[in-house]
Amino acid sequence: MTTLLSLLRMLNEKLAVAAGLLLLISVCVTLYDVIARPFGMSIGGTDELSGYAMAVVTSWGVSYALTCLAHVRIDIIRARGNAKVRAWFDAVSILSLAAVAVTVAYRAWPVLAKSIANNSTANTTLETPLWIPQSLWMAGWLWFALSAVVMAGCVCAFLVAGRHDDIEEFAGSRGEA
Amino acid sequence: MILFTSLGLLALLALSIPVGIVLFLLGFGIDTLFSPFPLMRGLGQVVWSSSNSATLIAIPFFVLLGELLVRSGVAQRTYAALESWVSWLPGGLIHANIATATLFSATSGSSVATAATVASVATPQAERLGYDPKLFSGAIAAGGTLGIMIPPSINLIVYGFLTETSIPKLFLAGLIPGFALALLFMVVTVIFCVIRPSLGGPGTSASWQKRINGLVDLVPLLGLFGAIVGSIYAGWATPTEAAAIGVAMAFAIAASQRAITWQMIVASLKGTIRTTSMIMLVVIGAYVLNFVLTASGVSRALQDFLQGLGLGALATLLVIVVMYIVLGFFIETLSLMVATIPIVVPIVEQLGYDKLWFGILMIILVEMALITPPVGLNLYVVQGVRKSGTLFDVMLGVIPYALAMLVMVGLLIAFPAIALYLPEHI
Repeated sequence: MTTLLSLLRMLNEKLAVAAGLLLLISVCVTLYDVIARPFGMSIGGTDELSGYAMAVVTSWGVSYALTCLAHVRIDIIRARGNAKVRAWFDAVSILSLAAVAVTVAYRAWPVLAKSIANNSTANTTLETPLWIPQSLWMAGWLWFALSAVVMAGCVCAFLVAGRHDDIEEFAGSRGEA
Repeated sequence: MILFTSLGLLALLALSIPVGIVLFLLGFGIDTLFSPFPLMRGLGQVVWSSSNSATLIAIPFFVLLGELLVRSGVAQRTYAALESWVSWLPGGLIHANIATATLFSATSGSSVATAATVASVATPQAERLGYDPKLFSGAIAAGGTLGIMIPPSINLIVYGFLTETSIPKLFLAGLIPGFALALLFMVVTVIFCVIRPSLGGPGTSASWQKRINGLVDLVPLLGLFGAIVGSIYAGWATPTEAAAIGVAMAFAIAASQRAITWQMIVASLKGTIRTTSMIMLVVIGAYVLNFVLTASGVSRALQDFLQGLGLGALATLLVIVVMYIVLGFFIETLSLMVATIPIVVPIVEQLGYDKLWFGILMIILVEMALITPPVGLNLYVVQGVRKSGTLFDVMLGVIPYALAMLVMVGLLIAFPAIALYLPEHI
C-alpha cells in the first residue's frame, strides 16, 4: 500500500509540473497580448483562454496539493493528541475530503454533459466549444476524487492495522501555507 | 441557523478537516437543512464558474513570481543595501529586517516565503553582532506580513473576487496603510530600543559612498514593484497582465543572478501549483458557501439578528474586530479571511461601511493572525530558520509589532481616508 501511495505522489508531482507548464504558456500568451496591444496585433480572447487555463490548472493541481499535504488544516487540537489520536483525526479528515471530492466530481459531470448535448459554445468571439475546456476540467476533479478515495482507503486499512506512522507520513498535517 | 453555521464552522475546523473542505461541507449542510430547494444540483456550475476566471489567474502568476524571486538570491543584496541606509537608527539591523521584509513581501506577495527568506539572510548577522534575538526575529515575522497589504497582494485579489470589489482600487487603498504600517514598525523599534538599548544591538554606519553604490542592488525589486503597480494605474494592464509582466521580470532578475536552472524552474512551478491549488480549494469552498448562504437566506437572518441586538454601527464593527483578533489566534490568514467573508462583508456593508475600506481593515486583522500564537505561521517559519533559541523568544518579539497593528486598526477606523484617499483621487 505504501508503494501505491508513493506512486500516487510521484504521478501527482508529474501532473503538477505539467500544470505549471500550462501556467507558463498562459503567462507568455498574456505577455504577448500586452506587448502587441499598442501595435494593434493582439489576439482576441486572451481573457477567455486564461480563464480556462485557471480552471484546468486548479482542478488538476488540487490532487498534487493533497498528496503533498498542502491543504491547510487547523490542527491545534490534533497536535495535542498522541500518534493514535492524530491518526484518527487524519482519517476523519481524509474521509471527509474524499466525500467532498467525489461529490464535486459527480456534480461536475452535468456541466460537461449539458455542453456536449447542447453543443454549447462560449458567448465570445472565439466561440470556443465549451466541452473542450470543460472535459479537461472535469477530468481533473475526477482524478482528485480518485486520488482521495485511494488515500482514504489506504488510511482506513492503516488504521485497522494500527500503522499510525504510515498515516502520519501520507495523510498527516504539515503546518504550511 | 446562525448558530448552526458558526458552530458548525468552528467544530469542523477543530476536527482538523482541511479548511476548503469544511466550507464545502458547511454549504452541503445548510442546503440540506435550511434550503427550500436543493441547491447542490448547481454545484458543478458554481465550481466551474468560480475557477474559470481570468482575474483569479493573477494568483498563480504572482505566486510564481514570488517562487522565482525567493530562489533568485536577490534578497541578500537587497538586505545589504537597505542595511547601509537604515541601520544607524536605534535598533540597528532590526530596521534592515523590517525594510527588507516590506520590500520583498510587497513584490513577492507571500508573507511566509518572505519571513523565511529574510530570516535566512539576517539571522547569521544577528548572531555575529550579538543582537538580542527577541525583537530581531519578531521584526522579521511582523515585517513579512506586510506583503498581503502592499500591492500586488494575493489576499486583496481574493477579497476583490469574493466581494466583487475593484482589485485595482483595493491595491491603491492598500498602498498608504501598508507603508504607514512599515513606518510604524520602525518607530516602535526606535522607541523600544531607546528605552531599553539591550533589546537591540550595535548600529552600523555606512559611508555615503557605500549607500549610493548599494542603490544599484535595490533596482531589481523597486523596478519590479514599480512596473507592476505602475502598469496597473497607468491603465496599461489589468492585475493579471501586470502579474505576467512581473513573472517575466522575475525571470530576468533570476537570470541576472545566474540562478536559473531547469531544477529551479521545476521547483518553482511545483511550489506554484501547490500553493495555488491550496488557495483555490479554499476560495472555491468559500464561493460555494457564499452561494448557499445567500440563496438560503442565512445572510439575511444574520443581518436581522445583528440589527436586533440594537448595537450601533461602530459597536458592531468593534465586535467584528474583536472576533477577528480572537479567531486569529487559532486560524491562519487566508482561511480566516475567506471563511468569514461570506458572513461578515454583507453585514459590514449593511452597517453603511465601504467594503473597499473594510477590505484593508480586514487585511490588517488577518495579518495579525500570522503572528499571534498558537497558530501564527510566521512565528514558526522564523523560528524554523533560526534553529537556536526558543519559539517563545519570537512570540515575545512580535508583541510590539502586534500592538502597532492594533494602533493602525484604530487609526483606520478613526480616519478611513488613510485607505480611501488614493482610490478616490486617482
